Amino acid sequence: MSILYIQSHSGGPGAGVARAAQAGDVAIVRERELTPDQIEAADGLITTTHLDQIGWLAYAVPVQRLLARGGRWVFNGHILRPFLPGLAVYMPLLAPKREDLALTRLGEHPIFAGIDQQLLAKNRGVAGFYGRGHNPMPPGATAINGLGPGHLPIDWHWRLPTGGEMLVHAGNEFWGCGDDAELKDLLVYRTIAWTGGRL
Amino acid sequence: MSVLAVHPGAYYHIQSFETPRYAGYFDRLARPEQLADVVLSDCNVVLIPCRTPDDRLAPHRDLLRAYLDQGGTLVVTGENEFSAFLPGISFTPQPTNWWWWLEPGADLGVRIARPEHPLFRRLAQRDLTWHLHGWFDVPDGAEVLAVNGEGKPILYVDEVTTEGRMVITSLDPFFHHGSHFMPATTRFLDGFLPWMREELDRKEHS
Repeated sequence: MSILYIQSHSGGPGAGVARAAQAGDVAIVRERELTPDQIEAADGLITTTHLDQIGWLAYAVPVQRLLARGGRWVFNGHILRPFLPGLAVYMPLLAPKREDLALTRLGEHPIFAGIDQQLLAKNRGVAGFYGRGHNPMPPGATAINGLGPGHLPIDWHWRLPTGGEMLVHAGNEFWGCGDDAELKDLLVYRTIAWTGGRL
Repeated sequence: MSVLAVHPGAYYHIQSFETPRYAGYFDRLARPEQLADVVLSDCNVVLIPCRTPDDRLAPHRDLLRAYLDQGGTLVVTGENEFSAFLPGISFTPQPTNWWWWLEPGADLGVRIARPEHPLFRRLAQRDLTWHLHGWFDVPDGAEVLAVNGEGKPILYVDEVTTEGRMVITSLDPFFHHGSHFMPATTRFLDGFLPWMREELDRKEHS
């Protein structure tokens, strides 16, 4: 399986992704050097919160083809350019209070299985780093984690009607949240494994 | 009247540049890859926002230098690899204390260095205070507008390195404003962008 981790911003990825790349589990590709052929040859994609969403539109066809052949895409960030039919623009919380930032596990997913979501809800006791809004779910998607008392879907899984699957997180990379280094490593490992169809 | 913003396309850039709150401050948006096709000398101000990937700006280093040398004004905000695309920059990153405000009575240390500067008719110290990402060694003759807790420059105007003007800061307001995170960054842009329009967007500097 060929998994591409799209490195959008200056510098490199975190240590967990870098280790996975050294082990051959994922290929790190600078976004500016990405070609449609690389997506055509891949089975999965991981994009970060720094994705150039305008530039990404140019890859819509190869991304749709990747999904149509059963590929998987993990998306982190706020969707402001809906890349695929069914996706919609991010909705931020307006002046959130602490209770609006609470996280609730709503559905199971292999990446989050057995992980207490509360361990990701705060960094040094401060809530809000995990996310402060949601990307609206397409019809047929399943919420994994909810935000605030209204359980707004901050993480969701979508098995596309045209094939393939997406996991969408409305914030910075979810494996960077919380204070538990081992848990972060586990989330990176599982994210890459799931994207590659091994989980 | 002409302000061009370089638009790298991340969500926080889209949110900052394309939504009504600030869209009117930018007469033109250009992708970094389009810069070679733009007549920069037509622009009074070129703005490069926070977190523009260095590999998308470095190819335009000579172009930006030529723009400055013909009298242009370049505004560059934080979390950029400044020296990859700008002349005369000496930047020292500093570890970011994301938690400084958790201590009662905490003070990040940001200070306005030139209170009489017109920018500070629009901005108070609290509007510059969220995170520190690093500081600059500025050339002799540069005008330092704000400093960190050690008195090191974090916002300055350089009209000595080139024939033009560089307004440089290590503060990263577009990233946080565009992330709907940290009201101080929105207050900063509420003051900074009108100042940019009124004070920098003039042909006579050229």
